[in-house]
Amino acid sequence: MDRRNFLRYGAMAGAALGAARINPDFFFSSAFAQEARPLVFLSAENITGNWDPTAHTTLSQTNIEGFVMGYLTRAPMRPDDPEKVVYELATEITELDAHRLQIRLRDGVTFHDGKPFTSEDVKATFEYGAKLDRPKQVYPGGPDTFAVETPDDHTVIVDTSKGGYGASLFIFLASYLPILSAKDVAEGPKGVLSQRLNGTGPFRFVEQRGNDTVMEAYEGYFRGAPKVTGVTFSFVGDATTRMLSLMNGQADVIERLEPEQVETLEARDDIKISRLVSVENKYLWFRCSKPPFDDWRVRKAACHAIDRSMIMEIMGSAGEASSNFVSPIKFGYVDLENYPEYDPEECQRLLAEAGYPGGEGLPELEYITSTGFYPKTKEYGELIAALLQEQGFPVTLNVMEVAAWNERLYDRPGGGPGHMVDCGWSTGSPEPDLVLRTHFHSSSKRICGIVDPEIDAALDAERDAPSLEARKESLQTNLMPMLADKVPALSLFTSVLIHGMRANVDGLFIYPDGQSDASMTTLG
Amino acid sequence: MFILRFLARRLGQGAIIIFLVSALIFTLLRVVPGDPVRLMVGGMAPDTLVEEIAAEMGLRDPIHVQFGRYMGKVLQGDLGESFVRPASGAAVGGASFDDSTRGERAKVLDLIAETAPMTLQLALLAMVFALMIGVPIGVWGGLYPGRLPDRLALYTSSLFVSLPNFWLGIVLALLLSVKLNLLPAIGYRGFSYTILPALVLAVEIAPFIIRTLTVSVAGVMGQSFIDIARVRGLSRNQIVFRHALKNSAVPLLNLLGVQFSMLLGGVLVIEFIFDYPGLGLLTINAVMQRDFPLIQGIAIVTAAVFVLINIAVDLLATAIDPRLDY
Repeated sequence: MDRRNFLRYGAMAGAALGAARINPDFFFSSAFAQEARPLVFLSAENITGNWDPTAHTTLSQTNIEGFVMGYLTRAPMRPDDPEKVVYELATEITELDAHRLQIRLRDGVTFHDGKPFTSEDVKATFEYGAKLDRPKQVYPGGPDTFAVETPDDHTVIVDTSKGGYGASLFIFLASYLPILSAKDVAEGPKGVLSQRLNGTGPFRFVEQRGNDTVMEAYEGYFRGAPKVTGVTFSFVGDATTRMLSLMNGQADVIERLEPEQVETLEARDDIKISRLVSVENKYLWFRCSKPPFDDWRVRKAACHAIDRSMIMEIMGSAGEASSNFVSPIKFGYVDLENYPEYDPEECQRLLAEAGYPGGEGLPELEYITSTGFYPKTKEYGELIAALLQEQGFPVTLNVMEVAAWNERLYDRPGGGPGHMVDCGWSTGSPEPDLVLRTHFHSSSKRICGIVDPEIDAALDAERDAPSLEARKESLQTNLMPMLADKVPALSLFTSVLIHGMRANVDGLFIYPDGQSDASMTTLG
Repeated sequence: MFILRFLARRLGQGAIIIFLVSALIFTLLRVVPGDPVRLMVGGMAPDTLVEEIAAEMGLRDPIHVQFGRYMGKVLQGDLGESFVRPASGAAVGGASFDDSTRGERAKVLDLIAETAPMTLQLALLAMVFALMIGVPIGVWGGLYPGRLPDRLALYTSSLFVSLPNFWLGIVLALLLSVKLNLLPAIGYRGFSYTILPALVLAVEIAPFIIRTLTVSVAGVMGQSFIDIARVRGLSRNQIVFRHALKNSAVPLLNLLGVQFSMLLGGVLVIEFIFDYPGLGLLTINAVMQRDFPLIQGIAIVTAAVFVLINIAVDLLATAIDPRLDY
């Protein structure tokens, strides 16, 4: 065979093989010819691939759970009434006494797999969600510290007398962990829970198609079938791409807008902006289990070196000033009088007292931050590094892409990488312990690694308070001021959650943790 | 016999290239910072568990041992499984250390097979657009060396080559998709989603086609057989289309071969900007997640395609000009 024939026959064989494999849908599918269509939501963050709601603390996946799963209550968490809860699967929650809580459940609700929702599901969820090995362990102290009784299919009684803490703690937690099916829970973490979502919410999980999570309207939803046909929730990593998608109509809702993007989009009539004070505070976490930040005086000196008003200027509309370790829409928030403010003289005094006059003798310090996920981290990271250097802290800022930063984020034996880490923490409930206990109790200490018996005692004291009022007092007069003195982390500001959406999207309710209720949404 | 000898020699050379690329990528991945096991098991997992899983996966063995094991599987057609992606193909992160989906990780070959046709389609369309832009301008410039068409060809290619592709992508998306609503820009749900990113890539490639054609056509038109053709009474169109273009095709063909290979492996920025689910986007996410098997698989496949395209180009060139001997 000569070379020409070889080429000719080779090309013919290739073409025949290719033609046989072509799926016509691959080429023809109009972009704009969609009438009754799902709501398209573009997320800035990817998911975990494991659908068990207790297996992660990933926001994007929590947002998906918000569409699919049902909760006993929902917490709108608006600044004018942060403690308000709206009943969903529960119809009434009553404190029988300091350690007993009675929850009445809605009748006539079914899971997406057809199983009726009963008190057994709540019991199974509470016990499973309290397990200490769950990455998103929610209920305090583990399942051995409380008992759940189910007198009938629609009544649940939680008794926390074994744990010694107040049962009222479960009130806000009820709007945080979605209710799982007892049947799914019985299979354990390696069973169906990890394979798909099965809830009682307005949308049914259909499939994960590449980076698209496909959900369709659930006809049997107890408040009536949603008006949109479904929700397509997609991970799109690039902020500009998300904005272009919104502008050309391919996306209906996009999240985590940068302040500059807000200015661009606000000028358009076909797009509207939603701004919410979020549940997320951004923190500068100190590695408290290794020098020099194992000394509270050095931590506090660093806090006094940072002018947070300058950070607010950088953040613009994406940040809200706060003087506490939780967001203003959390239960117990108060502006702390002793929260460390910019005070170079006090910084120098504390440094000298700690044995580092003018910063002399301090080791080289690494400040780890990320870029591409939270807004402006690099910009205000540079500012913080400069302010610290001005006071004699030998700081190097290490800006990492998200995966590398995430790898270095959490505390490890010996203190973990670096000396300071930038990270936010966002939980969809007014419950402050989801931040405070998670990070500052020695049994958890996710990032800062602090072990301090006084803080542990203060955390236990507020947890064990017999009523919500007593808890609030304990939080505001004991724990929070103590944290402001010992500063295992400095809360820099509260994030403002900014969504962009098409002007024709009506009735979408956005929670301050990023979850959305699209059950009443229409696409006009 | 020529074909057999040619193929045997070039495929042998190609195998050496692929082996070297594989060894280089494999080694580099293991010396850069970022432990994939930490990313797999989640930040909160204890160090002991990280080490346990890393040892189980053989990631603590010497690099040459790991490489030998890997190549053994590759020779059997097994590119391994992704460290992080589940079978659904989603880009994932933040998994927990008892993540049960680890048992159903996506096969690297499947992920490449799903995304490569998307990139192939994008690259082919980009090439078509680039030829539509580049051939008329380049040929016109080559027919009038030193005169206005030649200068226009030079200016056009200079302008095109100066436009950053990420900027052009955003501008074209704003213009054609947002303002005029002519084309979709983001993601992929049908052929129309390929047009805009292909246009951006075409603007990137066109300058090379223009310059190559301008020079080669001008060179061919100055040769004696063209003068003879005129003496033979052939019309200018006949001379240009039958003789000049055919003789200018060999350098263009070589260029297209290289450009096409580059496109297959180098559409990262464009696929990221347009969220186009091809090999480029897959590569970016794989790098971000330190997904070693996926990065290695993509590198091997891309290198293999590069080798095959170059063999095909050389074969085509010898078919056009039998004097060539590769």
